[in-house]
Amino acid sequence: MNHEPFELQVAAYALGALDAADLATFEAHLGQGCPRCEAALRDYGETLAALAREEPPARPPARVRDQLMQRLSATQRPPAPARRLGWALAAAAAVVVASGTTAALVAQRYQAQLDRVALEASTGRDRFAREQAALQERLAAYEGLVELIRAPGTRVVPLQGAAAGSEAMGRLVWHDRAGGHLIVAKLPPAPAGKTYELWTITGGKPSPAGVFQVDATGGAVHRVAPTEAPVDVFAVTLEPAGGVPAPTGPIVLASR
Amino acid sequence: MEADGGELLRRIARRDADAFGQFYDRYARLVYPLILRILGEAAEAADVLQGVFWETWMHAASYDPARGSPEAWLVVRARARAIDQLRSIRRRGDMVGAAGREVTSSAGTGPGPDSAADRVTLRRALERLPEEQREVVELAYYRGLTQTEIAEQLKQPLGTVKTRIRLGLERLRQTLGAEVP
Repeated sequence: MNHEPFELQVAAYALGALDAADLATFEAHLGQGCPRCEAALRDYGETLAALAREEPPARPPARVRDQLMQRLSATQRPPAPARRLGWALAAAAAVVVASGTTAALVAQRYQAQLDRVALEASTGRDRFAREQAALQERLAAYEGLVELIRAPGTRVVPLQGAAAGSEAMGRLVWHDRAGGHLIVAKLPPAPAGKTYELWTITGGKPSPAGVFQVDATGGAVHRVAPTEAPVDVFAVTLEPAGGVPAPTGPIVLASR
Repeated sequence: MEADGGELLRRIARRDADAFGQFYDRYARLVYPLILRILGEAAEAADVLQGVFWETWMHAASYDPARGSPEAWLVVRARARAIDQLRSIRRRGDMVGAAGREVTSSAGTGPGPDSAADRVTLRRALERLPEEQREVVELAYYRGLTQTEIAEQLKQPLGTVKTRIRLGLERLRQTLGAEVP
């Protein structure tokens, strides 16, 4: 048998540069057992390892080792297959919701997410459940918002920060019969024991329209139930946790 | 006396976490710079590094000392995984990653402030290759291009590319073989 073509292919194979057709031919050749090619591959493998030593030094991030050791100890515990699958599905759902990018990306990240889930399962099941619930809640809110924006008769009411120097802002996507969603940004997190409360004001009389908290970026999306009478003004105040039936605290956001 | 890499891999195959820690400490510094060079971006490189060592934990039993050193075994896996990641980044059209790679690859190749004599001894084996060989080896090794893709990119005949790849890698083998004890 003429070995010449393989002499040429073995270096490209070691570099991972063979085209698909050549790759199939060469691997078939290797599969039959070829001491010459095996020896050449061994040599080239060592060459590439030596080449790797010549890269400019870079220190691997310390967290990689920590995460590996954690994952590893998770695998050494007795597995709980059924629950783990449940969490895997939850994680996949979370990826879809959170990224909103292509299916290919999701698939590619899926394995990493699965591995992370195994770790989560052993270290933070409760936290993960809360995150999943929060994501589903947000998804429902966004879906409701999209529906609302499509409806004729929906308007957008701007809200502005009431305090001097406040950067807080809000938008109320509102439909007189369907209610709406309050979206706020740049609102500082409420102090401990406090919450934000929305009011719908009709004829000078405020009615409570639910309490909400902001996330770390100062943003929130809050569902607002429809009111019986048309609303003149929307306002947000800072109130004791749990909310109150009539406003007591300072106004932080208001529509004109 | 410290266990050698092959012994560590045998222990890892038997689920020895301590051996895994030692293996990581010894070899992460070898493969991380390569992964970083291929991906050009530290966060991506860290993910791949973790993936490579996770594979080591899962598949250490597949290491066969007759087919090469633990270093070579690990470098082949690290490089393959980094190239897979690079291709998926390309598919998502990640321009940020691409820009990072440009910066990284040009940083290593420009003339430095070293004296001419230093350059001769310190230059990496790759940089000592004739330009036309270095070019094809780098496109294959760091960018994951196949011979046909390289030929298209360089507008050279496929046969020329094949020959240069072989000559280039063969010369590297001789150069590095002479340097490594």
